[in-house]
Amino acid sequence: MISKTSVFLKESSVVLVKSGGVIIGILLSLTLIGLVTSIGRLAMGLGASTALTDAYPWGIWIGFDFALIAFSGAGFTMAAVVHILHMKKFQPALRPALLAGLLGYVAVLMLLLLDLGRPDRFYHFIIFWNLHSPLFEISWCVLLYTTILLIEISPDLFGRLNWAWPVNVASRLMTPVAIIGITLSTLHQSTLGTLYLNMPHRIHPLWYTPILPLLFFVSSIMAGLSMAIIAYKISIRAQGKEERCGVADGLAKGIAWVALLYVLLKLGDIVMAGELPALLALDMASLLMGLELVVGVILPMILFFIPAARKNNLAQWFASALILFGVFMNRFTATVFAQKAPPGAAYSPHILEWLSTIGLLAGVILAWYLAVRFLEIFKIRVSIKAGH
Amino acid sequence: MNAQKQNKLSRRDFLKKAGAGAAAIAAAQMFVASPASAGKAPLEDAWGMMIDLTKCTGCNSCALACKEINNLPRTDIVPHKLDSNAYTFVEECETCEVTGEDGLPQQYYVKHQCMHCVHPACVSACTVGALRKTPEGPVVYDADKCIACRYCQYACPFGVPTFDWRSLLGLIGKCDLCAERLKEGQKPACVEACPTGALRFGKRKELLAQARAQIDFNPERYYDHIYGEHEVGGTSVLYLSAVPFTEIGFPEYGPEPIPRYAETVMTATPFTALTVAALATGAHFAFKGRQQPQLAIESDEIGAEESDDQ
Repeated sequence: MISKTSVFLKESSVVLVKSGGVIIGILLSLTLIGLVTSIGRLAMGLGASTALTDAYPWGIWIGFDFALIAFSGAGFTMAAVVHILHMKKFQPALRPALLAGLLGYVAVLMLLLLDLGRPDRFYHFIIFWNLHSPLFEISWCVLLYTTILLIEISPDLFGRLNWAWPVNVASRLMTPVAIIGITLSTLHQSTLGTLYLNMPHRIHPLWYTPILPLLFFVSSIMAGLSMAIIAYKISIRAQGKEERCGVADGLAKGIAWVALLYVLLKLGDIVMAGELPALLALDMASLLMGLELVVGVILPMILFFIPAARKNNLAQWFASALILFGVFMNRFTATVFAQKAPPGAAYSPHILEWLSTIGLLAGVILAWYLAVRFLEIFKIRVSIKAGH
Repeated sequence: MNAQKQNKLSRRDFLKKAGAGAAAIAAAQMFVASPASAGKAPLEDAWGMMIDLTKCTGCNSCALACKEINNLPRTDIVPHKLDSNAYTFVEECETCEVTGEDGLPQQYYVKHQCMHCVHPACVSACTVGALRKTPEGPVVYDADKCIACRYCQYACPFGVPTFDWRSLLGLIGKCDLCAERLKEGQKPACVEACPTGALRFGKRKELLAQARAQIDFNPERYYDHIYGEHEVGGTSVLYLSAVPFTEIGFPEYGPEPIPRYAETVMTATPFTALTVAALATGAHFAFKGRQQPQLAIESDEIGAEESDDQ
């Protein structure tokens, strides 16, 4: 046991120094800056450390939160693909996606903590209930689903520690755990859209529709699968391996269909609501929606519908990144850009808001990268021992 | 071994399904008993406040009395907006053209504060249920529950709740119609302080009847609309004005409560959950026998291999 661990540590440290030392250094520095600014924010209070006002009570933290939750849809979408639809060829993309999902939610939890006016009362939603509140449901689902992700990732953690029986127990629980995870994700991914239904007076009419919950859910599948492709591609490279045929392009094909559904839902809703003139008005709200739909959905959708393109490495990176950009823009527009505020009111994020956000993101990206390496090293070693 | 494993899994899934069903029913029952539903009653017999803007002289007695009763700082300074130090303020309408009884142009003032909606969006939105519509009329705030997520600020169609941005651990502030004073049989502090009779306190039903009579009796004096009678499903605070409400910057709202869509979706939560869980379970069994072209190394198998090793 001890020799195994020491060999593992030796192997991993060598690999770490060899590859990506500079990137790790940068991420680590940013993480430290994020840590310091986060502590600064908690010590200074919301008013002094942010540009938020009564006209703009929410800022980039919420924008990043909601985008990150959609990106972290990588976890539930891949669990559905592998454990529910039993498409086992996507198994290699499952672990990086689950890990990205877990760390995404960790970042969300930390950003939410910074965003609360009373971070000392973060646990209050567990005690004081309001079943009509979208944020109440989101809080519970994020808490429970983060636990689910931990269970889903636990066979790797236990395996890394060479604990046999917890691996077996956790592995056998995978199907029911995946079903619970998918249910919780469907709920809170859509409820993020429901959240905006309580503010028709604040959001530009083009961006307000009763089907927001459905749009948020569908776009989270799109974002989750794109995140899964990117996480898979990076993890493969981090391990110095070759991509398997059919993984990234198979997911890409799925994304194309989900993107098509999203475009049809969104445009159909706008046409039926008689808001087509608003879409073509070429004002801020319509341009942002054009950007989201054309660059962030339709362009990558076309690329992913073309077999040659979706099998092309560069196109996979590019189109997946575009989908993430589109969903990011969507969540940000709903939270900040399409918000109507009293005349004269403006929001330009405080430097501490930026630094804490960037630092937290760097921290989880670093953690993800290290975890991919550590866990994967174990896997290779065991596979070799087992005669693969 | 494989068949045995499958058998176990299906039994577990069945138990899970049954468990989810029971949980959903329990959740549905909780929705019915949810405190937010209390706001759905018309509350005609609850307390309300009528603000007759034609009688307001902009003396600010109400705003200062409000600061004093709520222990807000600087009771000597007249507030010019709602913030954590002012739950009401009086705004002069500079664009309004109003002539007084003497035929001369008159200054026109608008008092702002919480509208105490019959079906308040802030109450529906509040993550921890810190906001509550009482059957007596006021929308009250429990500062001890609040986590200051500030969702209420977005949900409020009148921009009323404010956050204390100055404090290290800030909280939300807003008018509570002096709910504590009401319990003791007193009027809200602002109503008591008003020297001109612009503020009137009473049962919402009676205030509406009086206002209707005032408009009918004096159609030259009043614009023919009682703001708050139907807006966003009705509010406990009502307004009479000489000029159209759009001129004093009041938003135009239909009779639908703001949280109607969100509450419909939220109420369906247990059924959504059950449907998704059932579909996922069904899909699991439907696709279980799917032909696999080539099996990758599974994380599940690693553990098994490892245990075989030892």
